[in-house]
Amino acid sequence: MSSPTSVPYVNIAALNEDIKAELLEAVSRVLDSGQFILGREVEVFEKQFAPLCGVRYAVGLNSGTDALIFALRALGVGVGDEVITVPNSFVASTSCIVLVGARPVFVDVREDYNIDTSLIEKAITPRTKAILPVHLTGRPADMAQILDVASRHGLWVVEDCAQAVLAEYQGQRVGSFGAAGCFSLHPLKTLNACGDGGVVTTNDEAVYEKVKLYRNLGLKTRDNCVIWSGNSRLDTLQAAILLVKLKHLHRWTEKRRFNAAYYQKALAGIPRVQVPLDQPHERAVYHTFVIQAGARDKLQQYLQDQGIGTAIHYPIPIHLQEAASNLGYRVGSFPVAETQAKRILSLPVYSELEQWQLEHVAEAVQRFSPRSER
Amino acid sequence: MRVNFSYLEQQFADLEPYLSDLRDFLRTSDFTLGKPLVEFENRFATLCGMPHAIGVASGTDALILSMKICGVGCGAEVITTPTTFFATVGAIVACGAKPVFVDSEEGFVIDPAKIESAITPQTKAILAVHYTGNVADMPAIMEVARRHNLMVFEDACQSIAASIEGVPVGSWGETASFSLHPLKNLNVWGDGGVIVTRSDELATKLRLYRNHGMINRDEIAVFGCNSLLNTLQALIGNRLIKDVDWITNRRIVNAPYYDDRLASLGEFVQVPRRRLGVKHVYHLYILRVKQRDGLLAHLQQNGIEGKIHYPVPLHLQPAARYLGYKTGDFPQCESDCRSIITLPVHQHLTREQIEYTVEQIKAFYTKQRR
Repeated sequence: MSSPTSVPYVNIAALNEDIKAELLEAVSRVLDSGQFILGREVEVFEKQFAPLCGVRYAVGLNSGTDALIFALRALGVGVGDEVITVPNSFVASTSCIVLVGARPVFVDVREDYNIDTSLIEKAITPRTKAILPVHLTGRPADMAQILDVASRHGLWVVEDCAQAVLAEYQGQRVGSFGAAGCFSLHPLKTLNACGDGGVVTTNDEAVYEKVKLYRNLGLKTRDNCVIWSGNSRLDTLQAAILLVKLKHLHRWTEKRRFNAAYYQKALAGIPRVQVPLDQPHERAVYHTFVIQAGARDKLQQYLQDQGIGTAIHYPIPIHLQEAASNLGYRVGSFPVAETQAKRILSLPVYSELEQWQLEHVAEAVQRFSPRSER
Repeated sequence: MRVNFSYLEQQFADLEPYLSDLRDFLRTSDFTLGKPLVEFENRFATLCGMPHAIGVASGTDALILSMKICGVGCGAEVITTPTTFFATVGAIVACGAKPVFVDSEEGFVIDPAKIESAITPQTKAILAVHYTGNVADMPAIMEVARRHNLMVFEDACQSIAASIEGVPVGSWGETASFSLHPLKNLNVWGDGGVIVTRSDELATKLRLYRNHGMINRDEIAVFGCNSLLNTLQALIGNRLIKDVDWITNRRIVNAPYYDDRLASLGEFVQVPRRRLGVKHVYHLYILRVKQRDGLLAHLQQNGIEGKIHYPVPLHLQPAARYLGYKTGDFPQCESDCRSIITLPVHQHLTREQIEYTVEQIKAFYTKQRR
């Protein structure tokens, strides 16, 4: 028996509804200024975003994918190079490497879905130029280990922070560890635009200057082109929207963490259900709350029947995608990521969830599990 | 009197209809590849008389994706003209290819007679730019391309609704790329671009490639990029696309009016020859003039926002140094860069503003005569 969705997996409309008047006012201001490309809102957004990530510079781009591409390009990663990353992320973490002409080299992940740092060294070859750790689900990767390997081998570190704005590792914000941090402002992210958007963060002035050139046709001034490039600019309109949302970001993040803590407690000790836990040195921001369950597909169906939307991030690891067929990987190459792909399930965790919805989700998971044991 | 170059203030004097659309749109949260985008693409395809229109993040991305999907890459040469906007060349380089320049002709578009001598065994494509709203001589270009088995791409970023003998831009190339940048004839509130193509196969590939190569949420066919026309921008575009005919017609009326009124200044002002049969849509109204910098300063002092598109030839930009071109390689382009001036020609310009501009130009040269 199916019922109408009482807990949708995402609910962006609710978030925007709360602040709609503010959003429309911000949009009108941009229109009145007649400045639709770069300009004030983008600059102010960048100035506010940089300190939020604990860095000196931030550059607004058209998407998180472009942020990754531009960061790699600014560091000189290109044809013939290899970049080490994980196979369990969103595809853009890998595409960016391919698109700059380099070769992605995968390393398996740990139980917390982030790169298994003990395996990085074995993947390094003379062609390796960078490590691209992903702070998946909003949990910081083990940056101390990653930076240690990177410095010993002279590799760049580019952080994929697409899901992890405000996440901290040993008290330090993600996006400030590597040579560059790459953020997405996609509508489903915690800090979201009403369309695509992305940011590169860095403390390196040279990277900053290059990314700024790349995003705007290589133009130093209107008439002086110092390097050929395309363009990729955070829309001024989206920047205005984001400036409104920045004011609410801490509150939204705290609510996600609260929701996660609720699930962690309510779902603890359920047989065959594994709940993500926080380490003392981490502050995870729960872009997704990903549990693992034995009979995952049945659980998902059961929750669906209870009106609860869930998602799987992601059911097919990148190394087993058709797009990766020429990279030489096969089933069994990354056992942890492959096992997780069959077991993971993302529960709703967004900031607009109400208490009864949290309880409804938790109870449904509890009810399902004993039955599946029989 | 002020004669403004940007018309956005007038175009969006009444925001309410747009804000009302936005209010409804925010409720849907249909932000990525949403319904307004699909509607816009359908309207755009109809406008261009083409079966497929694919919305991407910018006109530049439209060019990059078009060439990449057709296999233009490392080691390839692409022939274009230095009389264009930076993005044309940026797009070729972004594909990994090498830009090879050919001089432009009097109408600021590539001179087809000069293409053949620039072809080498590495040449893969001709990127024809319909610069300023003019249309490159496509029948001649297609003939050269056919003889040498080259692909042709159209950079129509400035030329929406332009045509030759009724055949619209976009009809000749593998694809044509359009820009929806705020100051284009069809504009949105930020960056945006559209690719049109006849080919079902290219359209399918482009739709995959612009969205991470995703066949569906979970399956990835190719490693692609993320370059979407924002659905929010498409929402704005859906309102404005209804005005394209009016906007184009206004510009097509304004330009010859200038032409006529300036004819008596032949000694100082040269109106470019207009090719017969070409529907020029006047994204930019450009003249060749004597004492250009003096005239520009005079106009600006008198409230007229003249511009220069652009003062430095692309082959002489710092970015082009590695290509090995030098001063004198493209005489038409180089002499144009010294003499061109752009006057406001937009759809909100009044007769009085045009008259005033003409008067100021005449006043400037009268002073010089004395």
